[in-house]
Amino acid sequence: MSAALALGQRALLEAWRTPEALFPTLFIPLFFLVVNVGQAARIFPSETTEFLNSQSYAAFQLPSSLLLAASFGTAALFLVEEIEGGYFDKLRSAPVPRSSIVLGRLIAELVKGVGIAVVLVAVALPFGIEVASGPLGFVLLVVLTALWAVVFAGFMQLIALKTRSAAATNSGSLVFFPLLFLTPNFVPRSLLTEPMEVAATLNPVTYVMEAMRSLILEDFAWQRIWPGFLVVGVAGLAMLALNVRMIRNYD
Amino acid sequence: METDEPAVHAEALVKTFGGRSGTVEAVRGVDLSVRPGEVFGFLGPNGAGKSTTVKMLTTLLSMTSGTVRVAGVDVGRDPDAARLRMGVALQEAGLDPRQTGRELLVLQGRLFGLSKPEAAQRAAELLALVELEDAADRRIKGYSGGMKRRLDLASALVHEPEVLFLDEPTTGLDPASRLTVWEEVRRINGRGTTVFLTTQYLEEADQLCDRLAIIDGGRIVREGTPAQLKAELRDREGLDREPTLDDVFLDATGRTRAKAAGEVQEVSA
Repeated sequence: MSAALALGQRALLEAWRTPEALFPTLFIPLFFLVVNVGQAARIFPSETTEFLNSQSYAAFQLPSSLLLAASFGTAALFLVEEIEGGYFDKLRSAPVPRSSIVLGRLIAELVKGVGIAVVLVAVALPFGIEVASGPLGFVLLVVLTALWAVVFAGFMQLIALKTRSAAATNSGSLVFFPLLFLTPNFVPRSLLTEPMEVAATLNPVTYVMEAMRSLILEDFAWQRIWPGFLVVGVAGLAMLALNVRMIRNYD
Repeated sequence: METDEPAVHAEALVKTFGGRSGTVEAVRGVDLSVRPGEVFGFLGPNGAGKSTTVKMLTTLLSMTSGTVRVAGVDVGRDPDAARLRMGVALQEAGLDPRQTGRELLVLQGRLFGLSKPEAAQRAAELLALVELEDAADRRIKGYSGGMKRRLDLASALVHEPEVLFLDEPTTGLDPASRLTVWEEVRRINGRGTTVFLTTQYLEEADQLCDRLAIIDGGRIVREGTPAQLKAELRDREGLDREPTLDDVFLDATGRTRAKAAGEVQEVSA
């Protein structure tokens, strides 16, 4: 575990020293938040829109921005760079468990995910957004975002390890767009058309988004929160197992 | 390690790659034995199987068949124990450009089981050894090619390995940097470390290696000291002059000088 922590620390340093890669992770989700709210806020006034629970439409949209921010996968591009540059082989030549090499990056993603979620929520608070579930709800919101960041980074790392190509890894991140938009992104699931509702119900990201939204808009409604944690838990374990298997068989 | 145990011993080493266009036998039954304390050169034209062999010897590539022991440890059975006894500097200087030289060495030390203070102490020693103290706290992306190569060498020595594998350590370096690397290799070997060196530069092999092997088409085609190999060619061909290592190489690989141009370069540092 100490090797994984040392490698995680290095991956964090790498992110800190590459602010140009971190900037879009914060800026683009905020941009979407502003644009989406600007386009739809008048359709959904807080006073008359029941699903907003008296909050602004920005509060409803914040989970989409949090999920987007946690789904950039830049860590996987750094991994490809390492593979191409030979540093990955240097790490593989060390007597450490193979799993620690992928785990280190996932630990760093968890920490980065916490930081990104805290910053985004902090930026959103002055715009009238409240976390209705209170401080514990805020912590759960941040943890859920960070765990999703680990899931997505794990998925991107799989592509990086399999293809060893920056172009292929970059393309892999596009998979998030259908996942993000086949969700109750703009309105609750019950207001979607039937085909979209079916698609959203089948999409696991829906449950993460609904858990986040529940934490922001209402007091603890566990029946909407636990499915989100279940999705990130199961997907996280699956990604971890696949990453470990991939690096053990890496030639 | 027992003194009579070879530093590197490979037996019937085979690597086959399968692809859409069929199977490629990159290494076809290589037998090698490197004595403790020697500088062993491993030569061959491009695509001969040099790097594939080195990657198998250093645990970075699985073997299709065969056995490898490094410093007495079976690489296939106990790769982590083997990794503890070997240092590896591959063809590309494998460095993280965002770290400083010191950070990279400290991390490498920690990955090889040193505590933080031990790793910091070892990093300082190695930075002095490769004369990078002034650049130690600068990010690696600003280093020259020669500095990167020296740092790569230092990172391979962080755990004081018994065997050091160097895969084309001077490729792409200017003559002055090449000389510096040669000096480092001699200095490291002088401390008792066995060096396994692949190179495309025949002059380099002649200067540095006690013994060498030439691989071609995935098989070892010559093995011996540079003097033995030259004498064997002179006697076999009845030459009236002392052949060079180039002549030995061309004879061993069945290449003419014209054909070999671009594959193997002769350099003088």
